[in-house]
Amino acid sequence: MGAFTQTIAIAGAGCVLPGGAGVEDFWNSLCAGRSGIVPLQSSLFHGNRVAAFGQIPEEVRQACRQDVPRNLQRYCTPAVVLGVAAARQALQEAGVDPRQGHLRFGLYCCQGGYTHPSLDAYAELLQECRGGDDGLDLRQLSARVLETRALDPFLVLKSLSNGLSGVVSLAFDLEGECNAYMQGVAGNQAALREACAALRSGRIDAALVVAAGSELDALALAELARAGIIGTNGARAFRPFDLDGEGGVAGEGAAALLLRRSEDMAAGPRVAIGTIAAQAELAALELPGEPVDLLVCHGTGVPAVDRRLSAVLARSRPRHATCAQPVTGLLSAAPGLADLIVARSSLLRQCVPPVAGLERPVSADLPFVTGAPQAARLRSCAVVGRDDNGFGACYRLDYADAR
Amino acid sequence: MNGARVVITGLGAVTGFGFTWQRMWSEMLRGSHCIRPWQPDEVSDGSFPVGFAAPVDMALLPPHLDEHPAWRLPLEKRSRYGWVAASQAVADSGLDAADLREAAVLSASGAPHHMLDDMRLALAEEPGAGADWAYLMRRADRVHAGGSLRQASDRLARVIAGHFGCEGPVVNISSACAGAAQAIGNAFQMIRRGEVELALAGGADSVLNLDTMGSLYLLGAATSEQRFGADLCRPFDRHRSGLVAGEGGGFVVLERLDRALARGATPYAEVVGYGSSLDGYKVTAPDPQGRGAALAMQAALDDAGLDPQQVDLINAHGTSTPLNDVAETLAIKTVFARDEHYRRLAVSANKSQFGHLIAAAGAPEVIVTALSCREDRITPTVNLHEPDGDCDLDYCANQAVHRSVEVALSNSFGFGGLNTSLALRKYRRSR
Repeated sequence: MGAFTQTIAIAGAGCVLPGGAGVEDFWNSLCAGRSGIVPLQSSLFHGNRVAAFGQIPEEVRQACRQDVPRNLQRYCTPAVVLGVAAARQALQEAGVDPRQGHLRFGLYCCQGGYTHPSLDAYAELLQECRGGDDGLDLRQLSARVLETRALDPFLVLKSLSNGLSGVVSLAFDLEGECNAYMQGVAGNQAALREACAALRSGRIDAALVVAAGSELDALALAELARAGIIGTNGARAFRPFDLDGEGGVAGEGAAALLLRRSEDMAAGPRVAIGTIAAQAELAALELPGEPVDLLVCHGTGVPAVDRRLSAVLARSRPRHATCAQPVTGLLSAAPGLADLIVARSSLLRQCVPPVAGLERPVSADLPFVTGAPQAARLRSCAVVGRDDNGFGACYRLDYADAR
Repeated sequence: MNGARVVITGLGAVTGFGFTWQRMWSEMLRGSHCIRPWQPDEVSDGSFPVGFAAPVDMALLPPHLDEHPAWRLPLEKRSRYGWVAASQAVADSGLDAADLREAAVLSASGAPHHMLDDMRLALAEEPGAGADWAYLMRRADRVHAGGSLRQASDRLARVIAGHFGCEGPVVNISSACAGAAQAIGNAFQMIRRGEVELALAGGADSVLNLDTMGSLYLLGAATSEQRFGADLCRPFDRHRSGLVAGEGGGFVVLERLDRALARGATPYAEVVGYGSSLDGYKVTAPDPQGRGAALAMQAALDDAGLDPQQVDLINAHGTSTPLNDVAETLAIKTVFARDEHYRRLAVSANKSQFGHLIAAAGAPEVIVTALSCREDRITPTVNLHEPDGDCDLDYCANQAVHRSVEVALSNSFGFGGLNTSLALRKYRRSR
């Protein structure tokens, strides 16, 4: 224990993402180029300019609710429910159960950047309390909230920035160390960094890293559009690294990884997380010094930006490259974890899934796989993500089979 | 655990006491508190049941901070407080711009403030069933630039990093009332592991608005007690009735010791351990036996390689809620059971003096703990006149205490059952 040279392996993974509930389902969608981005559907709002969203189907949401104990459901946002389902999958695949008590667990959670509860919760109240010079009778609103409890008192808990960690810990009886973050790429990176460090230090034996978030909210989408992160031309598809890209498309979903020290796992094929690098600017990010067999990366859907990104990412000298975002959309909370799942699946299967819909690459810098999945000898992989603020993170994964 | 030694070399705090840590510290040693009558801006007739809080008083803004950019940019007020606190910590540390380039920024934020102005935008001209979202989308450009809907949760961390030119990791922590403590704990771990040499860590929060305080009241967390006037925040007292919210921010500069000494800095205290845990009990209530709290304190001691007998002070989470204070007392008794060391510990609850700063709470409390280590003075738990029968430790009631503080723990526990504890030690050049 305590040696900092120990390798950390991904022992289990789970996801509820546009395109797939469960790693196998998600992988099949990637290989088939079947996107989870659909026409934006909400009973409460619609838009012409923002017309598409990487959405979790309602039947999948309902199925995921079965993973959450009934007494916890009132505390859950829809995204937290997805997070619990993803965590359960990861634990199952790894074959570990926190309730059995022989392993020391740590929990590391990320939520999306916008965790305000949907204003949907206020809709009826607001309409009831119309009046006054400026449209809202505050006295009436206050009285309805406080005296008749018209507002869901659990709203503040649902909006809590650590709602995910609270519910996951209760759903699986976790008592070990915990860290919670609220960012996309940067939050995933911080969670993975602390999880790996805790495993290497010997403080814990298993790290559950979970991320979940959704931007399916009128104002959140409006703000993403205003910031130029999602396109506003009514595009129905997300085409990163494609000359026909029309900007980003937001998505929702959850992903989870169960990490363990390699030495604690049974012999067999495994994917280990090597170096983790982070930088305030992607251009300054430390990429692997040696060429990698596979690059899993993020684009923006803005051709000029993606061309510059391609030039930066090409420094990793990949033999193959892919991108899962045309299937998922831009994930607010789980971008790094989702990409790690793609990378791990590729390494375990020795196969690279195509970039769905990529027809006219912005440059020849990156060897993207297009059309059909491509079998390949894959031993190393770089996963490079970027936040909309330019923050970049890079993970190196290595495949080994000790049998 | 081996690794680099990590020291605190700069402090910054914005609380109801004012805009400097020096004022906060001196007022706390005097036994003051800054809780006063309060109502949300939206309610003008005094009908809001929560009648007291510890708001930041802009009248106390010192002239040299009048021109701080935090007051001019569109920001949530919690971010303004945090930015000012971080600036104070940087100035206090004596670091210059070149030093800060490599720094990491770790910041905690809590639940966002929903601006009713924004909600009004959902009201269509023509009444219909519920809010009209299509109408809202057409008016989305009128959403308040300083409201939560326009502010990504990591806005404060990004603003601080941008302002000071920090190019290290920029991390936004989201662990509710344990947030700022986790930020400081994560920063400590990153420096100790050698990932960075310098970090700005802390948090900022304000829940002093209609919907968040309304929800905290409905959940039974915030007190509406009227009997004691502004003296209603009474941790460990038998008449305690719930939390009293404050607002503000706090940041510390954490630095690798050899780096700090090389530039001539004088550390306030050394951070030696960090522990966290989950209750796994309930979202809304702590484990009544204090199991999670005990695990966090023990983890911090283990991380520091300290024996419980070495601890002199616990800066308690001490929320003044009926459940927390008993559970925390039980947890302390569990961890410090050997030779009944808990009877020799000093326990202090800062929230009795500046209220509960929610996600930011851990930051000013760590600052107070560091100052206790440096000055051997312990701030009091005020309004503690009739201790609860189940709260029978030495809580430093109502008067500051002069006492040697070699090692101290600072506890922060969050909704959702996330607990943290930081271990601090009086700075000595050699251990």
